[in-house]
Amino acid sequence: MITYIIRRLLLVPFLLFGVTVLIFGMLQFLTPVERSALYVRDIPKTSKQVDGIILKYGLDKPIHIQYWRWLVGTIDPVTGNRTGGIIYGDFGWSRTGSQPVVELIKTRFPNTLDLTLWAVAPIILVGIWLGVQAAVHHNGFIDQAGRMFSIVGTSFPTFVFGLLVLMIFYANLQWFPPGRLSTSMQAVVNAEGFRSYTSLLTIDSLLNGRFDVFIDALKHMILPILTLSYISWATFLRVTRSSMLETLRQEYVTTARAKGLSERDVIFKHARPNAMISVVTLAGFTVVGLMGGVVITETVFDYPGIGKEAAEAASQLDVVTVLGFALFNGFILIIANLVVDILYAVVDPRVRLA
Amino acid sequence: MRKLFYLLSLLVVASMILSACGGAPATSAPAATEEPAPATEAAPDEEAPAGGITAKDPTTFVYVTFGEPDLLDPALDYETAGGEILQNVYETLVTYKGNSLSEFEPLLAESYEISEDGRTYSFQLHQGIKFHDGADMTASDVSYSFVRGMLQGGGSSPQFLIVEPFYGVGTTDISEMVEVAQMFGLEALADGVSTEELDAINADDVSLYDDVEAMQAVDPEILVGVCEDLYSRFEVDDSAGTVNMTLALPWAPFISTIAGYWSSAMDQDWVAAQGGWDGSCETWQNFYAMQPENDPIYDKTNGTGPFILDRWTPGEELVMVRNDNYWREPAKLERVVIQQVDEWSTRFAMLQAGDADAGAVPVENRSQMDALVGEVCNWDTAANDYACETTDDSKPFRVTLGRSTNTRSDIFFNFNVANPDGSNTYLGSGQLDGNGIPVDFFSDVHVRKAFNYCFDWDTYIGDIFNGEAIQSTSLVIEDMPGWNADDPYYSFDLAKCEEEFKLADVDKDGIPAGEDEEGDIWTTGFRMSGTYNQGNTTRQTLVELLSANINQVNELFIMESVGLPWPAFLRSLNARLAPIFFVGWHEDIHDPHNWYVPYLVTFYASRSSVPNDKYIPLINAGVLESDPAARNEIYRELNQLVYDDPPGIIGVLGTTHGFMHRSVKGVNYNQNYSNLYYYPIYKE
Repeated sequence: MITYIIRRLLLVPFLLFGVTVLIFGMLQFLTPVERSALYVRDIPKTSKQVDGIILKYGLDKPIHIQYWRWLVGTIDPVTGNRTGGIIYGDFGWSRTGSQPVVELIKTRFPNTLDLTLWAVAPIILVGIWLGVQAAVHHNGFIDQAGRMFSIVGTSFPTFVFGLLVLMIFYANLQWFPPGRLSTSMQAVVNAEGFRSYTSLLTIDSLLNGRFDVFIDALKHMILPILTLSYISWATFLRVTRSSMLETLRQEYVTTARAKGLSERDVIFKHARPNAMISVVTLAGFTVVGLMGGVVITETVFDYPGIGKEAAEAASQLDVVTVLGFALFNGFILIIANLVVDILYAVVDPRVRLA
Repeated sequence: MRKLFYLLSLLVVASMILSACGGAPATSAPAATEEPAPATEAAPDEEAPAGGITAKDPTTFVYVTFGEPDLLDPALDYETAGGEILQNVYETLVTYKGNSLSEFEPLLAESYEISEDGRTYSFQLHQGIKFHDGADMTASDVSYSFVRGMLQGGGSSPQFLIVEPFYGVGTTDISEMVEVAQMFGLEALADGVSTEELDAINADDVSLYDDVEAMQAVDPEILVGVCEDLYSRFEVDDSAGTVNMTLALPWAPFISTIAGYWSSAMDQDWVAAQGGWDGSCETWQNFYAMQPENDPIYDKTNGTGPFILDRWTPGEELVMVRNDNYWREPAKLERVVIQQVDEWSTRFAMLQAGDADAGAVPVENRSQMDALVGEVCNWDTAANDYACETTDDSKPFRVTLGRSTNTRSDIFFNFNVANPDGSNTYLGSGQLDGNGIPVDFFSDVHVRKAFNYCFDWDTYIGDIFNGEAIQSTSLVIEDMPGWNADDPYYSFDLAKCEEEFKLADVDKDGIPAGEDEEGDIWTTGFRMSGTYNQGNTTRQTLVELLSANINQVNELFIMESVGLPWPAFLRSLNARLAPIFFVGWHEDIHDPHNWYVPYLVTFYASRSSVPNDKYIPLINAGVLESDPAARNEIYRELNQLVYDDPPGIIGVLGTTHGFMHRSVKGVNYNQNYSNLYYYPIYKE
């Protein structure tokens, strides 16, 4: 297994290189003037202004020169200061985020991770539970209700559901506000005494002994979690249900029942673990998807995660930000896939990683 | 273990529900009332208590919006989101007087005088003003701020507004002065830059504009000379607290020009300590045309204003706190929070919940907010303020209606469209054959007049502005020299539209189209594209309205509505590919020069190849004339020329329809501020 992991990790730089070359290549379909649009928010005073921007950012240079510039940065001939260069850890300046890309990832990713941590348990555990219940009560009322729920959940647009719960639980009941933190709690977090250990607000608030900040942070995450859960449960229910039904038809399940085991033991000790292979795949993708940011949910609830920012950058052709996020997300994706592969082996001893 | 997990989960969920149910923010009692800040008058009717409507937090003003500052360097930022912060954190020598757009009063200056020849402005500064870091503000800081702004300039900054009075009509950037000095010697700058000199440097393809590397490569003697020349236009006495500025020409709108945040006073030592320009003429070129990523103070401020920047978390929020050591009476509000909430529904929910005092409300969503309105304020032109009336004491919002705004979307004709290798698809076939238009289609004045008569302003106002707009009758807007109620203007008239199309002679055979048996526009028809930037529904409606009406006049006339993504739209304008385009203008200063120049000389005029020789002498004469009546006469003549030979179609000015929580008082409704000036505002 160690060899397998090392081999997969060695592939990481090549995969990331491929991703960035692909993005650079696709952008070459746009003219330099079109690519300069990021730096020109309004109609420029003269066409010379656009020419100056193209020159400054080398937008008219061949693709390999632009790529090299992004890789190693540029040196100011007079001051000798270097700008950019990802090999030096400088991912460049995000126009859409108004700060360096690295800073942007540093501030946004912890928020997304925090949301993922709190969302993943209800999504997976409840989703699996619903699927198992539907399968166990095959064609019964619970199954029919579950299937109905699944169809409604799949076809309900995320933003509609999000806005609905926002209107009910915030605008009317004023229970769960949007955003990340209320202004007063944000002031607590920004105060000198509050120490950041993990950059994850919920964890840091507990480590700082500020239960009020913890509750406030959770209150802001309830509606995003509910929305993400609702749309994910439908999928988990369907996958777990069909996987469980297939497993329950296996001969060893019949044998287990014939041996006189209780139905509870048959389902939870024999059938369910074996139905988990496809669910683990789905869970892996769900976690990776959450960590990459959830654009619609983050936008509706004004949650400052990485997905909202990435979408904004892409829509404005903010190449530097998109590349930075692509690199980061690519890295996360590869690692997460690796973890899922390893989990396969844990869940199903028949799987051998080589 | 599993049971423990369930138990813990249950506990967490229960605690959250309990805190949510019990934790709805309490409605505060009315603030312990203090008198509002006296600096700016509030709307008289607002002073009455707003019934049972009170603020959740009377010390904090929350504004929810979308879009945030590019950077917080007052000399370089050129957009309203940043402008709003800068005008509250920094201060200028003069400022607007209350709600008036054309009257000014000293701010950092105690008083000012203008020399008889109108070229020298002498400012006496207030004594004892300090920057937020505690340093004294000196006359040298003021001159440094002006010089820094102009030298760092570049195309993305608003410094073109300042450069022009200091160097002459038509100048926009310090790079032009460097080029003039290279071509004609440094002494050529002494009396400003003439139109001939500008033409000479623009004649070649070589340009230093926004090109930092090329600027750094210029002969150091020239660079130092240009910087020293600029310094020589400022005479400073720190001990007396005076600054004298000498302009190239007597500039009528100079005071309104320097009332903008781009003329803010900055602390020279502080800027240098942050890694910015230290004021030395040896190094300024290294700071020229600086982009946010290179600007050491892009997210830092140190002004003299009533608020201090507390924190800016891009994409989330920006917080300003009260400057308790402010040189005037400190502001009433303790804190201003500007939150970035891109999604309208979320902003609406926050307004509805009372967590935001005001916010950006799209036109199409105004009706949602109207349902929350309990106080209606209509603009009273005579009083120059809103007159308010309570309509429902239980509803939390105030709506302000009816004041003409200073932003307008217009339509421009391109007199000579670029068609490299016949590849311009916006021209259709590129011929007058029914499937396209020739490149000089709009050089025919009758075609342009026909398009004007075919535009239906009333429908446009009804569809896009819900009836809340007025047609602009000239390029300039009401309440400034050049605007006259009796100026001639076009009205929607399909019969006249048809008449003008028949008078056109697009094939240039000397026979009007209506009588041309060999075929001309009336019998062949045409097809072309009308372009606008995607997502701008106002401009989309402009295209569609015009398109439907010309098609109604003659079914052979086809204009396709083409919404382009911003990059493609920018390219189409920059390369002069668009035969007709739909853009807008928001005035920087309330002066006719700020309208005529972009429309007839620079920004849009250059994109539409307008033959402007006949306009320029009048524009130049107008800006140099300080007598408003004489200016008006000059501009009246200009308006007639524009009417007779229309370069485009002049749109409409929307009227205000803004919302504010009724607990908010003392608002200054000056539209030349970038959104709100928070100093006079307080909450009940």
